[in-house]
Amino acid sequence: MKLGAYLLWTPVAVAAGWTVLLGYLLDDAVNPLADFRLLLLRWAVWIAAGAVLIGLLNLLAVHWSKISLLEPGWPYSALVLLFFLTTLVLGIVFGTNYPIVSMLFQYVQLPVEASLMGLLAITLVLAGVRLMMRRRQLTSAIFLAVALLVLLGTGPWLIGNGSALQEAVVVGQRWITQVFAAGGARGIVIGIALGAITTGLRVLLASDRPYAD
Amino acid sequence: MSPTLSAIVLLLFVLLLLGYAALGRRRPALFRPIPGFDALGSAIEKAVEAGDRVHVSLGTGSLLSPEAAPALAGLSLLSRIATRTSMSDRPAVVTAGDGALVILAQDTLRAAYSRVGAGQRYRHTSARMLAPTPFAYAATLPVLLATENVSASILVGSFGPEGALAADFGRQANSFVLAGSDDVPAQALMYATAEHPLIGEEVFAGGAYLQLGALHSASLRTQDTVRLILVLVILAATALRTLGLVG
Repeated sequence: MKLGAYLLWTPVAVAAGWTVLLGYLLDDAVNPLADFRLLLLRWAVWIAAGAVLIGLLNLLAVHWSKISLLEPGWPYSALVLLFFLTTLVLGIVFGTNYPIVSMLFQYVQLPVEASLMGLLAITLVLAGVRLMMRRRQLTSAIFLAVALLVLLGTGPWLIGNGSALQEAVVVGQRWITQVFAAGGARGIVIGIALGAITTGLRVLLASDRPYAD
Repeated sequence: MSPTLSAIVLLLFVLLLLGYAALGRRRPALFRPIPGFDALGSAIEKAVEAGDRVHVSLGTGSLLSPEAAPALAGLSLLSRIATRTSMSDRPAVVTAGDGALVILAQDTLRAAYSRVGAGQRYRHTSARMLAPTPFAYAATLPVLLATENVSASILVGSFGPEGALAADFGRQANSFVLAGSDDVPAQALMYATAEHPLIGEEVFAGGAYLQLGALHSASLRTQDTVRLILVLVILAATALRTLGLVG
């Protein structure tokens, strides 16, 4: 990054960030930069839309490069480009409500994503088993025992449904999810919020400059 | 939260950050070991020596959403990782589900290569938008991991349940996998599938553990101080309520 560009982008980014942030803290009636803040937010929406297009062009460039250099896996890239361009042309020419475009989403995109959710369930069962072999720790045992108890307490049982044992498991499951898990999750969320604030402040203080280094 | 209270909290954060950054020069902070960050250095070295690639994922979230913070933490990590892998035959590859994050990743890579005098090695295709939806992103990862000879996968960004699949695909490719997200259910899933899961705010701690600067270490100290204040406030409020001193 050239020195001139670095000196230009950093103050612009920091000033824009603080202007938007102070807009949340000051009432618009007393904030002299209220209109400017709204203008910046509108620009951000436009820039985000432009970034989506740039991302799609990047996707095309990456796969085109793989095909032209015949890199390993290039047939996959050819398929990606074929279906990408087909969907794009159909969407632009006929609109997104065109039956074939709707069918592509309904019968290709949705089932593929739903099947990945199914794959996730199987992956988690296998990962749970592997966890005990890979990380033989007390925390891993607790993790698996709690997961099993919550599963047992959530659904009906094939045998012994309504028994005293099932009632005890359901009570245990509720204690775990509503007391320990909810409390722990709140603690984790507070930690994440604190981390997010300090990360954002580092950008606003120009310590982290992902836009110009 | 009222605007006045928000402003006070913000001011507290800024003062603590700057104060700890100044203090850090005289009294460096000591942090507890996080196994994932301890093992990251050797995983990168192994990848460089073996001529394999390091993959950095910035997640499936958007830069303009509240979930942008972990991706910004991922970009900080990327800066250091790109510098360390710049002399490798196969430099780091970065993926994201958002076009704006890809642009920032390209800038970060370009700057990192320029810093070590390897600007000519930068390729704009090293940072890629894999797919715009979370599960489509996860579905494309196995091909990337297999065809790019990835031996270390660092997933630091905003992930939902697809993060667990992404981590498992890395394990299946025999890669070192370090994974963290800001989403609590995703963290639980990653705990099961990732070799080195990051729990809670650990996803934001990478910069401090990789010694990226005084403000990164100061960030962790600030978080600990504010957390302590919050704990005291919660305990005091609970005690007052229990004793019936407040409504």
